[in-house]
Amino acid sequence: MNALRWWWGILLTFALLGIARVFLPLPFMNEVVIFSIYAMGCNFLIGRVGYISFGQPAYLAFGAYACAFYLFYFGTNPYVGILVGVLGGLIVSLLIGPLFVRLRSDYFAMVNLALAVIVFYLTQKVLVGITHGDNGLWFLTRISSTPLLDLTIPSHFFIFSLLLAALVWAFYKYLDDSIYGACCLATKINENKLQFLGYHNFSIRLLAFVIANSTTALAGAMYAVYLGFVSPEMASPSRAADPVIVTILGGVGTLFGPIVGAIAYTGMKDVISKLIGNWELFIGFLLVFIMLVADKGIWGSLAPVLEKWLFRRKSPDSRGHD
Amino acid sequence: MSEDSRSVIIKAEGVSKRFGTVVAVDQVDYQLYENEVAGILGSNGAGKTTFFNLLTGYFLPDEGRILYRGQDVTALTPQQRVAKGMMRTFQLTSTFDNLSVTDNLVLAFFRAHKSSSLWQLLTNTCKKHRKDEKILAILASFDLERVGDRLVRHLGLGEKRRMEIAMAILAEPKVLLLDEPLAGLAESEIKGVLDVLRKQVGKQTILIVEHKISHVEDFLQRLIVMHEGKIIAEGGYECLQNPEVRKSYWQIDATDDASAAAGAAS
Repeated sequence: MNALRWWWGILLTFALLGIARVFLPLPFMNEVVIFSIYAMGCNFLIGRVGYISFGQPAYLAFGAYACAFYLFYFGTNPYVGILVGVLGGLIVSLLIGPLFVRLRSDYFAMVNLALAVIVFYLTQKVLVGITHGDNGLWFLTRISSTPLLDLTIPSHFFIFSLLLAALVWAFYKYLDDSIYGACCLATKINENKLQFLGYHNFSIRLLAFVIANSTTALAGAMYAVYLGFVSPEMASPSRAADPVIVTILGGVGTLFGPIVGAIAYTGMKDVISKLIGNWELFIGFLLVFIMLVADKGIWGSLAPVLEKWLFRRKSPDSRGHD
Repeated sequence: MSEDSRSVIIKAEGVSKRFGTVVAVDQVDYQLYENEVAGILGSNGAGKTTFFNLLTGYFLPDEGRILYRGQDVTALTPQQRVAKGMMRTFQLTSTFDNLSVTDNLVLAFFRAHKSSSLWQLLTNTCKKHRKDEKILAILASFDLERVGDRLVRHLGLGEKRRMEIAMAILAEPKVLLLDEPLAGLAESEIKGVLDVLRKQVGKQTILIVEHKISHVEDFLQRLIVMHEGKIIAEGGYECLQNPEVRKSYWQIDATDDASAAAGAAS
């Protein structure tokens, strides 16, 4: 029953996103889908392992630039580019992870922010020779057409990113149900006990760090292919809170949270920025409101109501997500 | 290993631990025998828990060695000691409050009987192990069946304590080290926890740190009393009549009536 329900949920969500494509502009939908992948990584870190990171743009940039370097200097196949981007993120997080995951959550947040600042200046000022600084790398025309799903066509790109998002979602759903997922929740609140049960906190956290940041790098690589362009703006520390905001907006630790958050955030940005100039101010107030009133976020607050309404039964008190 | 029931399983040799200028544990020698039920008693601040933490690897001693079945384990991490068969609980119940009771047990079970390799953790689901016979059996024998699906944070203290001990027992360790398993429990809950522990007597070596003697009366086979970081008495319950113990534990002078000691103990 339970299994049926979540499969229905995910099919419905992605079907709705697919249908929404008919009514809503394609760039908006693409933005939503990529952003939700971006937020899924962040959501896993915050909700499962208890690590808040204000440096996600750094990993986004690792993926985007790895993909961009490939497409600008070496090849033309966008699929290979995305793969290179993910590998780039994976390798970087494997290298710096052992240093970062030893830190407590608050220091972890700050050290990642510092990393974002470093990456921003590296791409903007230091490595100008290969990154072209603020001008960025343009490679839209270099991306080759591929059979079946041609990523140079926005509508094809949408189908591809939707499929990929569903895949990433299913992967995180699987992680949630695995013993590893339980270990992550356990290390989040009681690492001592986990250690005295004989588990290795360090390797559990390192793996979570690598998984989450490779997901972020995947989103970065998808941005790169979608826009055909990368610039240091991607790693800008001023965008550091974006994925965290989306995660909180959607509902920390819930599986649908990143998707709902990405829709809400991108939607607000698009709609409100057309109505009022300072849309970010509005989002700021909204976030304060959410923190004070509904700390479970949009999905976290809606889910129990929806479940009751749809299934006419009390939500079972099973595994928690916070 | 030797079949002799008196063979030593854990041995501490001249173990000391200082915190700044305070000597919490002072040159303690101690032997824990296989399959016995032993206790460490003492008033608050006597060094019981610190000594216990040294045995389990929570702290490293400043001096001395800890031996497990003759092998030096002083420098081993808690995980390595767990792998050798030592399992502890904590004074303030230490559980995973954001997981269900069953999933807490699954985590304890999985490490002990399967593996802690990441690959195994990733390729096994909790669901698959929730219905494992051993987990169902322990839920039943600890009277936790009713609350199996409930998040631990919604449990009462007694249930939590029972669950923490269940987790330790589920791992089937050679030595069960329990740090004040009865602290903060109501009388009825204490009986429940002791009933559960009685089932383990003879199967495992059990070492209990306890503050209140009345709780563990007629349960321990051998005990030590600690005071200011040293062992001041060792043996059966009769050693509690030792004047030094009575003085340190209850501030009762040797001349006082023995019934006063019994009164203070309860």
